[in-house]
Amino acid sequence: MKLAVYLSFGLLAACGAAPGIAPTAPQPLPVAKTIAIDTTPKERRRMMPPEVYLRAYMVWFGGLAPLDVQARAKGKALFDAWDDYLSALGLPDYRVDLPRQMQTNTLMLATLGRLGEALCMRAAERDLHGKPPAIADRVIFAFEVVPTPSADEFRDRFDVLHRTFVGYPVALGPADRLAKFYALYQAVAARHKAAKQPLTGDETAWAAVCSALVQHPETELY
Amino acid sequence: MRFRFYPLLAVAALAGDTRADLGVRDYRYFRALSIDLLGRPATRAELAAFERPDFDLDAWIDSAMGTPEYSDRLRRIYMDVLRLEVGPSFQFVPAPLVLRREQVLDAEGAPIYIYFRKGQRRVDPVTDGDFCLSRDDTGMQFPANAPSIGFPHPVSQRVLDERTVVVKPWWLYADYRVTTPTDRIGDEWKKRYPGFVPAPALLVEPDGKTPTTVVRVCKEEAQTADSGTVYASGRAGAPKLKPGEQLPAGRLDAPPGDSGFAKNQKGRAVSCLSGTGFQNSVECGCGIGLERCEPSSGPQFESPAFVMPTRTPLGADAPFEATPQPASSWERNWWGEEARVFLDKIFTEDRDFREVLTSRATSVNGPLAQFYRFFAGATCCGPSADIGYSQPEPLVEPGAIPQALVPEDTATWLPVADRGPHASGILTMPIFLTKYGSRRARAHVVYNAFLCKDFVADSVKLAPSNEADLTKRPGCSSCHQTLEPIASYFTRVTESDWTYLPATTFPMSQARCAKADQSKLPGLCKLVYDPAFSDDRHSTLRGAYASPAHAEAGPAGLAQEIVGAPEFAPCVVDNVASSLLGRALAPEDEPWKNQLTNTFVTGGYRMKALVKAIVTSPRYRKGNDAKRAP
Repeated sequence: MKLAVYLSFGLLAACGAAPGIAPTAPQPLPVAKTIAIDTTPKERRRMMPPEVYLRAYMVWFGGLAPLDVQARAKGKALFDAWDDYLSALGLPDYRVDLPRQMQTNTLMLATLGRLGEALCMRAAERDLHGKPPAIADRVIFAFEVVPTPSADEFRDRFDVLHRTFVGYPVALGPADRLAKFYALYQAVAARHKAAKQPLTGDETAWAAVCSALVQHPETELY
Repeated sequence: MRFRFYPLLAVAALAGDTRADLGVRDYRYFRALSIDLLGRPATRAELAAFERPDFDLDAWIDSAMGTPEYSDRLRRIYMDVLRLEVGPSFQFVPAPLVLRREQVLDAEGAPIYIYFRKGQRRVDPVTDGDFCLSRDDTGMQFPANAPSIGFPHPVSQRVLDERTVVVKPWWLYADYRVTTPTDRIGDEWKKRYPGFVPAPALLVEPDGKTPTTVVRVCKEEAQTADSGTVYASGRAGAPKLKPGEQLPAGRLDAPPGDSGFAKNQKGRAVSCLSGTGFQNSVECGCGIGLERCEPSSGPQFESPAFVMPTRTPLGADAPFEATPQPASSWERNWWGEEARVFLDKIFTEDRDFREVLTSRATSVNGPLAQFYRFFAGATCCGPSADIGYSQPEPLVEPGAIPQALVPEDTATWLPVADRGPHASGILTMPIFLTKYGSRRARAHVVYNAFLCKDFVADSVKLAPSNEADLTKRPGCSSCHQTLEPIASYFTRVTESDWTYLPATTFPMSQARCAKADQSKLPGLCKLVYDPAFSDDRHSTLRGAYASPAHAEAGPAGLAQEIVGAPEFAPCVVDNVASSLLGRALAPEDEPWKNQLTNTFVTGGYRMKALVKAIVTSPRYRKGNDAKRAP
């Protein structure tokens, strides 16, 4: 009984008016640590304009017109039609006030990947397979393929592709770049070792290296 | 083809003769320069040239700024801002231009095509304003914009000879103006007139195999006179049937009645190049070789006419997929190309950039010459003819357009030194006037693109208001105080069109449009004059209320105001620099921007000096030297 009475008093007291708190002037929080914020404009890589990418693509394909590239790239579901890719590449469409895309997105990257694969497979077929043209006439693979190249042999040939797509000698690139691409080459060549058509193992490996380079951030940005 | 290599920019490298001091930063800088000035990454040969000890980067930059890709790069900056292309939502299908096609049976019972214009005036009320062969002649009826209906029977040769003529049209013969044209479309045209490809349906007879060598067209459409006389049929103005009245035999709708202009001006000469001539004369046709009209392969006004690419991101000379499209797409495409070529010329020749707004010059090719000489007047003048405006005062003088260009000549661009007194840079080009149809839209885009300013509304609570003057209405005034006076510059250029409203016919205040009861104003007054700013003593030309002086100055006056504004040059610098840097300029860039502005202005507003100052600046170099990717 006593407990019930105490509880009742306690509850009544809890429901009563709160004791007043006198307002005070706001106080700044104490400084724990001071850091400098850099507000200067930050430089960052720019996306290669889609018009530039398209023009580069035509050049890499042998200086062909867009419709000729399309005709040559089709086949084996490597390529559809340019109109399927133009918007995904970030081109503006002034007719409907669609602005230029200034940043990459997943659809764009997938499109660039697909276009890159089509380019490199067709280039390998043209430049490396069967009776290839003279080295001077090759646009992408301007080197002789040697079976299972050594690291040095790979480096010399990879440098040709690196200059084409990235724009500088591989010797100036990150220290592990050559090793990573050599590993890619070896893995693909091993997997396709027995293949003869449409490409041999070494040719497929070069197409894979080309494909990886053409999708590399340093190729797509500048 | 646009994929050019420049031997002078890629002098073959000599073996073993390379610079050892080049680092990634240098290569990246060269790659960025190649992308921005050549429109593509450097080739291996160009890289090899770059590595040579005697490589002169400064000379290379100067040389690269002379390539078409350089002007392409700069044009992109302004095309991104102005977006000067018009989509299919803007249908350019004035009745005087569109030659439709119906299929009937000839005297032998074989199907043939006959071209006609919907709305073509003819004396016979059975066919006036409609197809020139009646139901009795053909067994068919021809509803507007739909396939024909009925049971066809052969049309007698006598009727065919009476009502139609055979023509060698411009889309099949480049020499259509000579007495006996022989230069017929063929494979050789692909090189001579690249991109000019009539829809396949225009090139074969109804059997789908026989090549078309001539077309049969209603005889009124085949007339070639430049002017005709105003025809009045005596029928009522409104084509509505009165009770008990019947349509002429076989017609699906009433023949056109007489307009006020036809009633008052009967027998007077009228230009066949204006819409007024088409609507009011039975003597106005499509001209020699049907050059004043555009073909279509069906009875609708948007039937396929030309095979053309939907998009040309690398320019008209590097087309992507092409499909048959209506003639209006053809026109819209060339309006856009005019602006591209105009901008390219400014950048390639390093002309004063202020010309983009002020120049009276342009360049035209065959399709544009045809448009300016024969098509532009077709949208004029509607009800304005009733007050005497039947001959359009053009924004572009047809006489200034080179006559040597044939309509199919897509490849030859000839300069037009002076389009006429009303012309002013891109502001009076069809692509600008149709892309930005309203006066306010035109004012807004100019304000935004060339002064880098925008309209930001006040955070004022909008209250109901009867104030017609937006420069005073609470909540609207903060933007419209600036916008309306700029929009006034376009008062005399009809909205979504290029028809000019001359002061002689359309004074700032028209007595007949001044009425106390504005609801009783004639239709023309409401169309051209603004009832909200008119009373019983005066009226105000629509759009001019905020600044009658600006209305009289026209687009050329706006151009002068914009290029004279202190914000103009910094805005150009901002647009170009931010595009090349790939980021917006920040407050920290202000001193650099001021330097660039000074370079631009003292250099005579020419782009090359500005671009060179940007691409040789540390900011541009550093922009390409971010942390390397793995």
